[in-house]
Amino acid sequence: MVLLPFRIKVKNAETGATVEMELEQNNTVDEVIESAATFWNKEMGTYVVRKGKKVLRGTQALSDAGVREDDMLELVPDPEGG
Amino acid sequence: MEEIIRPAEVDVDRFDRPRRVGWLDLDAVFRAKLLMVGAGALGNEVGKNLVLSGFRDITIVDMDRVAMSNLSRCMFFEKGDAEGSILKAEALRDGMNSLADKGAVKAVACSIEECSTDLFEKSTAVLGCLDNIIARMYTNAQSYHAGKPYIDGGMEGFAGRVMIVRPPGGACLQCGMNRSHAKMANLRFSCTGSETTLYEPRLASEITTTSLLASVMVREIIKHVSGRNDLMLSNAFFYDGRTNRAEEFEVPLNPECPVHLQ
Repeated sequence: MVLLPFRIKVKNAETGATVEMELEQNNTVDEVIESAATFWNKEMGTYVVRKGKKVLRGTQALSDAGVREDDMLELVPDPEGG
Repeated sequence: MEEIIRPAEVDVDRFDRPRRVGWLDLDAVFRAKLLMVGAGALGNEVGKNLVLSGFRDITIVDMDRVAMSNLSRCMFFEKGDAEGSILKAEALRDGMNSLADKGAVKAVACSIEECSTDLFEKSTAVLGCLDNIIARMYTNAQSYHAGKPYIDGGMEGFAGRVMIVRPPGGACLQCGMNRSHAKMANLRFSCTGSETTLYEPRLASEITTTSLLASVMVREIIKHVSGRNDLMLSNAFFYDGRTNRAEEFEVPLNPECPVHLQ
């Protein structure tokens, strides 16, 4: 079975900006984080992606994480300072 | 014989006001043994809240020394501490003891990885006020395996996060980590030939976010020792100080997380 690419929106929690991202079902959450952080020229740091109230696991494929066409994910800083 | 009361008598009791919070178990607070890892900005604020709340038995672990740049965020550090390069754990211990009702704050000046795991076993709960992922992962894992609740705070600029870990069930701190955390952890220990250099990023930090996160952390510990886990945050609390918005997220347990595989 051929899985077609699909599009989602990713929101930058720090600025409110959004970007559309074209993905395949086997892309991972880690890849979404890296692509979004690179697009927004984020400094190297720690981030999570959430869908609704749920933080998505980095290694999960988007299909396993329940990410579907037109979903909105949010890139949130996970600060490490103390 | 009838009990005699006098005007303003209630003001003699240092803890009269918290005693008025119905669900708060002050005796449990007095008895609790806390392990606090990290004595930086967050550690100072958490420490202040702990001793004013009535916690008496607290062990602070930190290996660093006070620097001048700490003074804008650390109420217990003074210029002389920075000039004398005093150990943070000891400066914080002295400050907390001076503020405490019955001071029994102890300082251990080493990294948490060098400490005996007995510290975890003997604690009622563990507070993470750390500034790096490696120490967080270690503290999270040791707390989890000792079956002790772990409350971890992290911040940068106006962004903050508090994670609540309550073994034996539910997700731990590491369950919520991904490749961006692994990269930052690796960056800390970058090997160049035979040498390992420690990379310490200088992160943006300011006191109001620190103060708010410390309040959340100590409030959660008070709930736990008071037996009110039902009131506790279930998982992760994210805070954006620029908009003053806070939200609770769910971090699901990761069955591949090394902490849960052991």
